Order: sequence, then structure tokens, then C-alpha cells
Amino acid sequence: MIPLSWALILSAVVFVIGVIGVLIRRNAIVIFMSIELMLNAANLVFVAFSQHLRSIDGQVFVFFVMTVAAAEVAVGLAIIVNLFRLRETVMVDEVNLLKG
Amino acid sequence: MREYLPVLMFLAVAIAFAAGTIGLSSIIVPRRSNARKMSAYECGVEPVGNARARFSVKFYLVAVLFILFDIEAVFLYPWAVTFRQLGLVGLIEMMVFIVILLIGYLYLLKKRALEWD
Amino acid sequence: MTEALFIGFAAMLVASSLLVILHRNPVASALFLVLAFCSLAGIYLLFHAEFIGMVQIIVYAGAIMVLFLFVIMYLNLQRDEEGGVHIALRRGLGWVAGTVVLAEGVFMLARRWAPGPLTPEVPGEAAGNTQQLGMLLFSRYLFPFEVTSLVLLVAIIGVVVIAKGRSTAGSGTRPAPGEDG
Repeated sequence: MIPLSWALILSAVVFVIGVIGVLIRRNAIVIFMSIELMLNAANLVFVAFSQHLRSIDGQVFVFFVMTVAAAEVAVGLAIIVNLFRLRETVMVDEVNLLKG
Repeated sequence: MREYLPVLMFLAVAIAFAAGTIGLSSIIVPRRSNARKMSAYECGVEPVGNARARFSVKFYLVAVLFILFDIEAVFLYPWAVTFRQLGLVGLIEMMVFIVILLIGYLYLLKKRALEWD
Repeated sequence: MTEALFIGFAAMLVASSLLVILHRNPVASALFLVLAFCSLAGIYLLFHAEFIGMVQIIVYAGAIMVLFLFVIMYLNLQRDEEGGVHIALRRGLGWVAGTVVLAEGVFMLARRWAPGPLTPEVPGEAAGNTQQLGMLLFSRYLFPFEVTSLVLLVAIIGVVVIAKGRSTAGSGTRPAPGEDG
């Protein structure tokens, strides 16, 4: 039997890796992957608590999170593709048209 | 946990086989190369250009739409196994879901997003 | 046995997540992300969430990662060149901020969540995981389920509008930049 705290700490570590990835990388696609890591860390907590509380509701939530993540990836990558067509770069700090 | 023992064994065999084949062949392979051996033999034509040329955006559009309809298919699995308990209500629920996505599909057809040229 | 497997999967998950954010090559990052998703699916199986584990592999490791790789190939990205004082400073700050967030989380977990025994494992209970999930999804979570279809509809329309442009077919599909150079 896996203690709940192990899953929570693992999830915290993965989430923080995602946060660091968003902060240190310039490539928009890698930033997007880091966001996926954070979403998956949240899913891990849902599943762990679903097991802990003996209730399957948490797994239903994981289902919805996955759906939203897929929709988000589809639209987000379309935006990145368009950004690349317009600016020939996916580095987020080179896209500073609004910076003045 | 018991029921996953075959899966674990299968996983171990798969990893061992892949690592063993690659590792063994890298150890015992003879390394004698000459110019003819290293030349390309792809129908006798020298390869032209970079293999990592860019794809067209059309592939991307198809891939994205695949994902969105893939999610729809994933929702069908739990519906299929509970179909008998849910009865007519379940059928109507799923029909509403599919009809809403069908609107999206009709939109794709109207915008000619799935046509190849 | 379960604990050992959890530790193994957790180590694989953390290592591959770190490689996702540290590797210079975006294609390698994407492949490490696949590994992270697969080890997460293993963890879901250990938590008796069989259906979620399978969906994780089908949707995340299968479909979403294919999309990431497609985009990377389409954009033909090379390795990132990241250098200079400015970048190094920001990277250092990123690590500091991340460590602070992690310390905060561990501090809170250590105070509220002492590692104690859980409810005992009930063998055989997870036999109909997909069925239980289906019953719940189509009764209590019916409305979110129907709203999900709207989310997908909006995503379909959004992708077509963004990727193809408002104009009719032809002008929206510029030839790939690699071909004319």
C-alpha cells in the first residue's frame, strides 16, 4: 500500500519541475510541455486521493482534465504554428511586439 | 498486484531483448567498412537535400483533428461498458454529445479543412 | 512490492521530467515527456485506476505527443542556443523560485500530512473500474460531460480558424518555407 504522502510529494516535485521549466526555457514548445507536466502532477493528486478516499470521483475529474488538456494543446500549438509563420521564431522573449 | 505479474514479466523480457540485441550486436559486429559499403543504395540514387525538411501544415491540421476526435472515442469506452445499465437515457446522453461534435465535423467539411489540396 | 514499483516509477518520472526541461533538443524533450507520461500511467495502475492509466497512454503518450513532434518537425527547430548573462540570470532566478515553491509545498505537507496508514487495500474491488467510472460519468457528472463536447467543439473550430485562416482554401496554405529556399 502506497502512503498518500508519497504521491503528494511526488506530485509536488513534478509540478515544481514544470514551474521551473516554464521559468527557465525560452522555447514556447518546451514551455508548453512543462505546462503539460504540471497538469499531470494535478492528475496524480486526483488519482491518489481517489484511492485514499475510496471514491472514484477523482478519476472522473482526471478524465475532464485530460479532455481540457487535449483541447488546450490543439489550440495552443495552432497558435505557436501561426506565431512561427509570422515571426520566424518560437522564442518567447523575441516576441515582444507589444513591448513598445 | 498479482494480476499484473505477467505484464511485468513481459515488460522485463521486452527490455532485456531490446537491450540485449543492441548491446550484443554492438559488441560482436565486425567493423570493416569501405567506400562501397558506406554508399547509399536507395534505388541507386544519391539522396538529395536534408531529410528534416519541413512538413506542410496540412499534416498538422489532420493530426490536431485526430486528437480531438480521439478524445470523443475515449468517452465512448465507459459508455459502452455501462450501456446496459444506462438504457435509453444513456443513449440519449451520448447522442447529445455526438451531435454537438457532429456540428464541428460539419464545420470542417464546410471549411474544406480535410481536403488535401 | 507495490512500494518498490512506485519508487521505481517515481524515479523514472522525476528523471524524465527533469530531462524534459533540461535537454537542449526539443525532439528529445518531447520523447522524454512520453517516458514521463508512461511512468505516470504505471503509477495510475498501482493506484488501481486502470482505465485512467490506459487513457493516459492512448491520449497523452499517443495522441498529444504525436502532435508535439509534428509541430517540432513542422517548425524544423534546431537546438536552442541559450547563452549570455541575461539568460543565465533568468535561469538562476527560475531555479531559485522553483526551489522556494517546492520548499513551501514540502513544508505544508510535512505539517498537515503526516505519513500514516490508509484504509486497508480491498483486493478485487477494482475489477470494474471502467464500469464504475462510466456509471458515475453518465449520472452525477452528466452536465460536465455534455459541456466537454462543447469544449471539443470550440477547439475544433478554433484550430481550423487559427491554422487555416479566415480566407478560403489556397491562400491560407502557404508553401512550407523550407521548399523555396
